[in-house]
Amino acid sequence: MHGLQRQIVELLPRLRRLARVLARDLTDADDLVQSTVERALIHQDQWRPGTRLDSWMFRIMKNAWIDESRSRTRRGKVFAPEEQGDNIGLDGAAAMEARLAASDVEKAMARLPDEQRLAVALVLVEGLSYKQAAEVLEVPQGTLTSRLVRGRMALLAELDGDAA
Amino acid sequence: MTSPKDDRLAMIIAHVDGELQPADRTRFEAEMAADPALAAQVARHRALAQRVNGAYAPVLDEGVPPQLLAVAAAANDRGRPAAGRLIPWAAVAASLVVGVVAGRMALPDAGPLVSRDGALVARGQLASALSTGLASQPGVVKVGLTLKTADRRYCRTFQSAPDKLAGLACRQDGRWVARTVTTWTPSAQSAYRTAGSDTPPEVLAAVDSLGGQPLDAVAERAARDKGWR
Repeated sequence: MHGLQRQIVELLPRLRRLARVLARDLTDADDLVQSTVERALIHQDQWRPGTRLDSWMFRIMKNAWIDESRSRTRRGKVFAPEEQGDNIGLDGAAAMEARLAASDVEKAMARLPDEQRLAVALVLVEGLSYKQAAEVLEVPQGTLTSRLVRGRMALLAELDGDAA
Repeated sequence: MTSPKDDRLAMIIAHVDGELQPADRTRFEAEMAADPALAAQVARHRALAQRVNGAYAPVLDEGVPPQLLAVAAAANDRGRPAAGRLIPWAAVAASLVVGVVAGRMALPDAGPLVSRDGALVARGQLASALSTGLASQPGVVKVGLTLKTADRRYCRTFQSAPDKLAGLACRQDGRWVARTVTTWTPSAQSAYRTAGSDTPPEVLAAVDSLGGQPLDAVAERAARDKGWR
C-alpha cells in the first residue's frame, strides 16, 4: 500500500512528461496527471504487484485523457457561444504564449491525431517496447506500428519539410 | 496498410526502435550497408527519434507541483500510518529524479512540510522562520520576498539550508501552506547573503504567477508584528 504510493510519487515526473505530450498546456497537463493519480489510487487493488506500474498508469492516463477530451468536446458544443464571450481573449493569449514557448517538435506533435501522438509518445518519449505500448493502448501490435509509421512520417514532413 | 512501401517503413522504424529480431536485424544491416539511400532514411528516422525524445526530456527536471505530490501522498491520510520508517528529506529528494519533494510519504511527522487535508503545511523551523523571520536576517532557514496577494493574503519565499529546499508558502487559516517546493542547494556564499539573490527559477516563476505586491522592509516588519492578519 505505502510502497505503491511511493512508487507513484517517483513516477510523477514521467507522468507529467507524457501528459505534456497529450495536453494543450501546462495546466491541462497537470490536471491530467492529477486525475490519473486519483484514478490509480481509487483502483489500486486492480494493480498486480510485480507488473509494470508505469504501463498500468499510462493506460489509466490514456483513458482519463480520452474521457476528458470527450467531455471537453461536449462542453464545447453546449457552452461555446456564452463562454467565448468571456474567455476568448484570455485563452487566445495563453495559447499564443504556449505556442511561442513550445519547440518545433512540440508544435508538430500537437498537430498529430491523438492516436498517433500517443503511439509516438509511448515509444519515442517514454521508451516503451512495442509490446508494452500496444498493451497500454489496448490495440494489436500491428495497429501500433501502423500508427507509429504514419505519425513519424507526418513529423518528418513537418520538421524536415518533406514526406520522404 | 500493408503496401510494400509501408512494410519497408515499418522495418526502418523497428530497426531504429530496436524492435527487430536478431536474424532480421542482421539481414537489415547488410541491406543498409549495400544501399546508401536506405541508410540515409534510417539516419533521418534515428535523428527524429532523438529529437522527439530530447524535446520532452526537460520536463523530468522540472519541479513537481506540490498539489500533485500531495494527491499522491494523501492516500496515506486515509490508510494506516506509514510504517514509521523515517527517511531524511534530503534522501527523499535525491531519490526523485526531478529533485522535487514533498508529500508525507514515509515521513509521518518529520521534515519541514506535512500533508494535511491535501495541503502541504510548513512546520518546525521552517514554520517559525516564515512567521518571524525578516528578509534582512541571515540564518539557515531564510525568508526572501514577501508579497500581499489581491485577496489580501501574505505569501513568502523561503530557502532552507538544512532541508535543501526552497519554495513559496502562503498564509492560510493560521498556517503556512506551500505553493511550490523545489530542491535547493545553498551556494558557498549564501550563508552571508540575504535570500532572494539565489532564489531558484521555479520559485520566481511561482511568485510571478501569483501576482501581488511585494512588501518593502517596513511593511514586511509591520505585517509580521500584526501576525500576518
